Amino acid sequence: MRRLGFPPPLSLFWHYLLAMLAMAGMTGLLHLLRNVLDAPIVALLYLLPVGLSTALWGLGPGVVASFCAFLAFNYFFIPPYYTFFVHQTQDLLALVVFFVVAVVISQLVGRARSSLAEAQAREREATHLYELSTALAGLRNEEAMARIIAEHLHEVFRAASAEVVVQLAPQETRTLRIPPGLAMPAEKPDYVVPLTTARGLLGELHLWRHTPPLNQAEERLLRTFASQGALALERAVLAQAETHAKVLEESDRLKSALLSSVSHELRTPLATIKAAVTSLTGAGGAWDSLARDDLLAVVDDEVNQLNRLVGNLLDMSRIEAGALQLQRQWNILAEIVGGALAQMRRAAERHRLEVDLPDELPLAPVDYVLIEQVFTNLLSNSLKYAPLGTVIRVSARAQDDDALHVRVSNQGPPVPEEHLDRIFDKFYRVTAADRVTGTGLGLSICKGIIEAHGGRIWAENLPDGFAFYFTLPLLWDGAPPPRLPVESEAV
Amino acid sequence: MSTTPHILVIDDEPQILRALRTILTQKQFRVTTASRGEEGLVLAAANPPDIVILDLGLPDMDGIQVCARLREWTQIPIIVLSVRDSERDKVGALDKGADDYLIKPFGAEELLARVRVALRHAAQAQGPKTPTVVRAGNLVADLARHVVTRGGVEVKLTATEFKLLAYLAANAGRVLTHQNILSHVWEPAEADHIEYLRVYMRQLRKKLEDDPEQPQYLLTEPGVGYRFLADE
Repeated sequence: MRRLGFPPPLSLFWHYLLAMLAMAGMTGLLHLLRNVLDAPIVALLYLLPVGLSTALWGLGPGVVASFCAFLAFNYFFIPPYYTFFVHQTQDLLALVVFFVVAVVISQLVGRARSSLAEAQAREREATHLYELSTALAGLRNEEAMARIIAEHLHEVFRAASAEVVVQLAPQETRTLRIPPGLAMPAEKPDYVVPLTTARGLLGELHLWRHTPPLNQAEERLLRTFASQGALALERAVLAQAETHAKVLEESDRLKSALLSSVSHELRTPLATIKAAVTSLTGAGGAWDSLARDDLLAVVDDEVNQLNRLVGNLLDMSRIEAGALQLQRQWNILAEIVGGALAQMRRAAERHRLEVDLPDELPLAPVDYVLIEQVFTNLLSNSLKYAPLGTVIRVSARAQDDDALHVRVSNQGPPVPEEHLDRIFDKFYRVTAADRVTGTGLGLSICKGIIEAHGGRIWAENLPDGFAFYFTLPLLWDGAPPPRLPVESEAV
Repeated sequence: MSTTPHILVIDDEPQILRALRTILTQKQFRVTTASRGEEGLVLAAANPPDIVILDLGLPDMDGIQVCARLREWTQIPIIVLSVRDSERDKVGALDKGADDYLIKPFGAEELLARVRVALRHAAQAQGPKTPTVVRAGNLVADLARHVVTRGGVEVKLTATEFKLLAYLAANAGRVLTHQNILSHVWEPAEADHIEYLRVYMRQLRKKLEDDPEQPQYLLTEPGVGYRFLADE
């Protein structure tokens, strides 16, 4: 863990003491050698601990050392010895010069030292900021950003606890506290810095650190942290706005596709109904009964078409909203397929429908109504593209006892490989919209329903046609399909 | 009962009321209409109808609630009108005492068939005898003698299959919910096992229907239950 170079008060006291001890040691040493050394050499030697004290412990201890040296030099080495009196003028001069030199040296050394410390502190500051901005650079999500900011705050400022409050929207406040899991401190934070940008207040930084209080440099760093954090959050706001705009644009595009498709699909049957009904009412009963029945059958067909369209729209909106609620029950696939075939019987009059479902197929945990919807949609799609008179076949097999594998195949034209995935997209059509009827919703509804069941749906070209495939899981909450005991027939 | 049965229709859509009034009057029914649940309950109490046709989506109260309130004092048949995709509502209404349901949009023939079935069952409930022989196409089920024939040939049924067919046939024409069938045909402990019903229904279809994939008599009511379609 990195620390900023700011000594606590206790070590400051030790620094002064050490400076004085150094001076005492030097004095003792020089006193032993006083018969060998002249006063000027002693004065020079005294400058050594002064310089060292300043360099090691700072300006204050240096000045104290200078003063001690001045007193000791006077007391022990300037005659009369062991007094603070000075008889000769030149000795006095030497003493004064010594003091001035000692103080100047300690000041010079001290300044160099403190500017070095300052440079180092600034370098560390720059490193912290660099680390913070690198950590924030790749992020687009405000929660991750808040976490990074809080972690850095906690580490760099050695805080008891750090908290980042982010409020990008009025009702949306997120708070991230480091260390996490810690209960909210009862007292107010010691430092509160707003996260402001040109857009206004985006949040606040809260820092709990009682002792020692932050010094000027640290406070400056804290403010810089805040502005870095605010910039990053602003980027998150802009990114959100951009995503939102893209989503809106996309849903706008889909809505207009839906509207144009739906209005076309609604108007066609309405036009037919209107024509049929007005000719029946206008003719005043002049139609022969065959023509009358024919017109009425057309009206009935078109009404059913409209009803299917509305059903599709409702299903789609439910799937889109994630509001599809499955009414799962154990079901027999053959019964569901039978239901779908019954609905399609009239539409499929000019095709051949074949069903190949083995009797031993297990029960499947599915929503009857929705899976029937899947079959009707797949069959109606097949009927639309397969030539008249061809076979449409529904088959299914159990796969590895945990899935049903279902196939709806027809003898229609192949779909270009690059379209195979996309035919399940909303409004996606391989053929131009004016050549086939439909909303372009049927297959995407199938996809939504199958996926809600935990299955998968896809399409493949066959050597002589085209097929839809889908799978349905057979396990329901891990339970396999139930098997029933066989009952013997009464005699 | 008067010769012209009286039908109360409760629906908030004026166009539906208009159409139903026209269709039912044409078929010699006497028709009263209400556009709100409370109004319908008041009308039903003041002049009890022979049958109630009730829309489940009313503006002032839940249709299921109207069902429950009616059932507090009368057993007159109730046919509910509902839309697709609300199986839960349909089952809820049937459990609260409704006799049958129709999905909007419905055909007039379908409506009239349901009305006839409901009136017949109401009459049977009052009368002393219930029919013991039910016919549907080439099927004949003699419930008293426990004999079922298809095209004149006797069909062997297991005990449960017969019990199931007998219950459906006794209620011919009416929809029966899964729960209703399970609780009448199976032991209470097994009443949650819809898979029993599915499997036995399939066996019955194989024995009784010409094409079990496209049944003519034992019909599935998607998400709700089953209905036995007998000759009228």
